Amino acid sequence: MKQQDKMMDTSPPTLQVEALSVAVRGGPPLLRNVSLTVQPGEVRALVGESGAGKSMIGKAVLGVLPRGIEQTAGRIHLQGAALETLSPSARRQTVAAVASLIPQDPLTALNPSRRIGGQITDRLVRRLGWSTRDAQRRALELLDRVRIRDPERVMTSYPHELSGGMRQRVLIAAAFAPRPRLIVADEPTTALDVTVQKQILQLIRELQAETGTAVLFVTHDMGVVAKISQTVTVLFAGKVMESAPTAELFARPQHAYTQALIAATPRYTHPHEPLRPVPPELVAALRRDIARHDEAAHG
Amino acid sequence: MADALFRIQDLHLALPDLSRKPLLGRAPLVHILKGLSFELPQGAITGIVGESGSGKTTLGRILVRLLTPSSGHIFFKGQDISRLDETALQPLRRDLQMIFQDPMSSLNPRHTVGYIVSTPLKRYGLGNANNRAMEMLERVGLPAAFAARYPHELSGGQRQRVGIARAIALSPDFILADEIVSGLDVSSQARVLTLLKDLAADMNLTIAFISHDLSVIRSLCDTVIVLDRGVIAEAGPCEQVFEAPQSAITRQLIDAIPLPEVDDSWFDDVSEA
Repeated sequence: MKQQDKMMDTSPPTLQVEALSVAVRGGPPLLRNVSLTVQPGEVRALVGESGAGKSMIGKAVLGVLPRGIEQTAGRIHLQGAALETLSPSARRQTVAAVASLIPQDPLTALNPSRRIGGQITDRLVRRLGWSTRDAQRRALELLDRVRIRDPERVMTSYPHELSGGMRQRVLIAAAFAPRPRLIVADEPTTALDVTVQKQILQLIRELQAETGTAVLFVTHDMGVVAKISQTVTVLFAGKVMESAPTAELFARPQHAYTQALIAATPRYTHPHEPLRPVPPELVAALRRDIARHDEAAHG
Repeated sequence: MADALFRIQDLHLALPDLSRKPLLGRAPLVHILKGLSFELPQGAITGIVGESGSGKTTLGRILVRLLTPSSGHIFFKGQDISRLDETALQPLRRDLQMIFQDPMSSLNPRHTVGYIVSTPLKRYGLGNANNRAMEMLERVGLPAAFAARYPHELSGGQRQRVGIARAIALSPDFILADEIVSGLDVSSQARVLTLLKDLAADMNLTIAFISHDLSVIRSLCDTVIVLDRGVIAEAGPCEQVFEAPQSAITRQLIDAIPLPEVDDSWFDDVSEA
């Protein structure tokens, strides 16, 4: 933690999101005035329930918002570059050079009809101008690093020949291959079972610590938040409820919604505690509050 | 609790591995379940846990006889159902219900919720199917007005409740629940689990609850069976298995649960793949 503090003092943030709002064109906002930073070497968890907009933040940063959804306000700085000021092609180039994505579902993220090797080296060669030979060498190195046995064979394999855990390792290798400064990990372990999840979390943690890569880690699991992150941002309905260092958040959750999320997570160590869903009264009150803000903002 | 609803003896299942089938000739067999024997006590919720590939889903499918075992016996209420053909199984089907992981793919998107829940009732010619369907929706905490909606209009938690309503409509003896909360938020998960627990107590249901999340199993189940590559690694009352796990795989599964508590030493014992 000490070391973390020192790093935060000396370097500018890898990612700085300021007052970001995103909305369906002509429709309701999906993100409301979201601000957060991720420092070099920091893992920031973005946690919330489905529909909270946590994946949308990552998509806005990477410039891959779904069709019909647009950024309506705010600024995104990636490695000091203000993304809104760039032309679309310059923006794509900047993002490709600096940021990577580890997606949720390794099966849909990989092209089923192409061999693994090309899917890792493509971006290095086509976007970043590496030589094929360097890209191949880097891909092999990373596959070995994510503890895939026999990387040469896996390079020539098709996605369906690998297990779910193996595919997720391949995607981690692909994400780290271009030496990114920021990785957006979008629920990367949700589709995996617990023992594989632990191995994958461990890998992401090791690689990001070795390389000093900043990570924006999207998850709905407070358990995963507690294990992987140094800082947390809690979202509800596209709005930040609370941001805090992870240890502090779990020791003294300030917002009622954070407290409710923690209370709703079952713990095998406390089998007789009743499971407590987030109280509907709290959800209703939060929604009323947000609706009032939305109205005030519009008029 | 004294009586067993299911008694399983030396259950084996081997299926042809089509990915290794030679051009000519038969595909080699893969043994998925390798001699399982256990009982499911009447009125209890039994957790079935294991890593992916351990055979837990296959075991569930054999219990409700969607699959036929290669050898061994399944006694359901004393009757050996392991070899019954579909005609002989017909009268038992209403007592063997299931709820699936992904309600979006197990609920027909072209039908309304009311139609989905009332169809099995009509199939068995049970009185006023529509009224009973409404009753079931209310029983799982959905307003009766939801009967007119389509699955895509519901949230994940609500869809899973529809799946539960359909499963309990015929007052079955047994429900197989296969990873039914793994796609849900913690809050919906808590609601669905609480509902299932209440229903089990009220309706004297026997439930086999398949999950890879031992925290969920601990809070819901009375007993647990830990599977490891097609064999039972450990089985017993939850309290006993969690307090003093006897097998390495059980300890590994427990250690892999990320509790919502900061703990820097959690990663220290990560086993190599």
